[in-house]
Amino acid sequence: MTQSVIVTLLVLTVIKAVPIIYAALGGVISERSGVINIGLEGMMVAGAFSSVVISFYLSPALGTTVGPLVGLLVGVAIGALIGWILGIAATKFKVDQIVAGIGINLICTGGAAYGLVLVFNQPGASSQVPALGGPNLPLFDLHAGAVALLAVAFVCALGLSWLIYKTPWGLRVQACGENPHAVKSAGLDPLKARLLAVTISGALAGLGGAFLSIGELNIYSDGMTAGRGFIALAAVIFGRWTPWGATGAAIFFGFFEALQYVLQGHVAWLPADAMQALPYVAALVALAGITGRVRAPAADGVPF
Amino acid sequence: MKPALRILSGPAGTLLLVVVMMSVVMIVAGSTPWAGFGALFGGALGGPHELAETLAQTTALLFPALGICLAFRAGLFNIGAEGQLLLGGLAAGALGANFTGPGWLAVPMILAAGIVGGGLWGALAGWMKSRFNANEIISTLMLNYVAISIANYLVAGPLKSPLATGAETAPLPASSWLPTLIPDTRLTIALLIAVGIAALLQFVFARTVFGYELRALGEAPEAARRNHVDINRLTWMAMGLSGAIAGLGGAAIVAGELHRFNTQLSPGYGFTAIAVALVGDLHPLWICLAAFGFGILEAGGLAMQASAGVPKDAIHLIEGIIILVLAAKRFVSTRVEVPAV
Repeated sequence: MTQSVIVTLLVLTVIKAVPIIYAALGGVISERSGVINIGLEGMMVAGAFSSVVISFYLSPALGTTVGPLVGLLVGVAIGALIGWILGIAATKFKVDQIVAGIGINLICTGGAAYGLVLVFNQPGASSQVPALGGPNLPLFDLHAGAVALLAVAFVCALGLSWLIYKTPWGLRVQACGENPHAVKSAGLDPLKARLLAVTISGALAGLGGAFLSIGELNIYSDGMTAGRGFIALAAVIFGRWTPWGATGAAIFFGFFEALQYVLQGHVAWLPADAMQALPYVAALVALAGITGRVRAPAADGVPF
Repeated sequence: MKPALRILSGPAGTLLLVVVMMSVVMIVAGSTPWAGFGALFGGALGGPHELAETLAQTTALLFPALGICLAFRAGLFNIGAEGQLLLGGLAAGALGANFTGPGWLAVPMILAAGIVGGGLWGALAGWMKSRFNANEIISTLMLNYVAISIANYLVAGPLKSPLATGAETAPLPASSWLPTLIPDTRLTIALLIAVGIAALLQFVFARTVFGYELRALGEAPEAARRNHVDINRLTWMAMGLSGAIAGLGGAAIVAGELHRFNTQLSPGYGFTAIAVALVGDLHPLWICLAAFGFGILEAGGLAMQASAGVPKDAIHLIEGIIILVLAAKRFVSTRVEVPAV
């Protein structure tokens, strides 16, 4: 491989990893608080779709710099709202978190497909909308706004790490994931901590989705998240429920996604369909390969 | 609770909620509930052909929903029915196109191929769970994507019919087709097979040791373990059987409707089936009823989209809300103060 191919592979790895990093960080905070967030995929869809819609409506009025930026913020807010709904279901109504997550995913994918027809008057994909702007950076072949989101992902990992390990609230979240009854005995409300954690989780997943639609691309299409929310869940486990571990795992999965694009031009013997399956196979192998060496938070997925 | 409230919190309340939400999505889409429901029910139940199409959709949803039911009852969240259905259909299509034995054997062999194809794919996730403790929610979802890649590769390459322009297997000879229940429709005897499996599943849950162990694994895994239930064996068997039922559904579509395999086999039956199984409260006979309800929505949804201009995808939005509401309602109706452990 020439040097340029290696550079392309590395850069593409980061680009492909970033949406998974955001969702995986969301998975970490949620599961650390004791709520399994199967709805990450749906929250990514909600973020991706709503940011495109906002950019479509507001960019003509606000300009192509501010419009997508507002879209990004709304994508995060909608993700947070969906996270909050899952949080309410998981805390106030004590629903089976997995069932609720499955419901959330249906709501978001169905809602986006329905919304596509209402807003853009066509099924399947939106029309092109203004994406996050700035000068095009040649190394990444992305606009500066999207490249900034690459950096923000690592800032988020840093911030989440600080939040979980260094703040009283973070310690409380950890306790909620291990033994919510102890938290209750200490006179604190574990449900409140869980609700906020799942809301943050949704915001992060929404941000990951928005990066896909108006960062890396300038369009929303049905199925564009392609299971990344679930790959992120695998990254959470592979990363042992820690922010940096999950980030590393997301980069690992991003590498395999990048690899398929790089290989497609250079390797003739491997069929394209096999390359497309690479990231999913990588997640499967990773999931199976860490047997017995990881332990989930004790009260992960257990309603309180 | 007041009587009116009690009625609302039951199935009638759920039905009312569906009607209200459907009305909202119809109005938002610029139509009226009158036009929307008219198109929906006209398209689903308006005549023998419409009813046949609705029942064909019911059948397509019922197989994977029953498979999902089996796994969920054992506490295994199999969300890979879509991939299992696809590979069941692939195995059925591959065998059906090349079958040379006696004619009467063709249909049973094709259906058996579907069972094996879907069953192996399900058992793979079960084995990963029992051997490596790999979370089955993630693995089955990942396996869906891998299944699509496998199917895409095989129908575009090794299994591609030399005569076909698109990516599909060679057509099945007419002797291998499933008999139709109403001529010139997609409704075949697969519906009867599916209902038969529902009854069988009900019997297994209620009357057999295996069914009892499955339920024990789902409801009280620790108790099951202490009573020497072989959890590893049960896990891959439950996932394998779950996949087998979904795979049989794929084979039924191949032998009954498409008469060949291509990757457009399923527009997401395996995912909608999760909603069917949950709305049916993981109870095989209720699931039959739920599948019929969803069959109406799926078949009528197309008519609603075409003649009332309400996007069909709104139905999935509503399915998701129903799942959330039902899950929350279960809590509200069984609310008792449980002392902290």
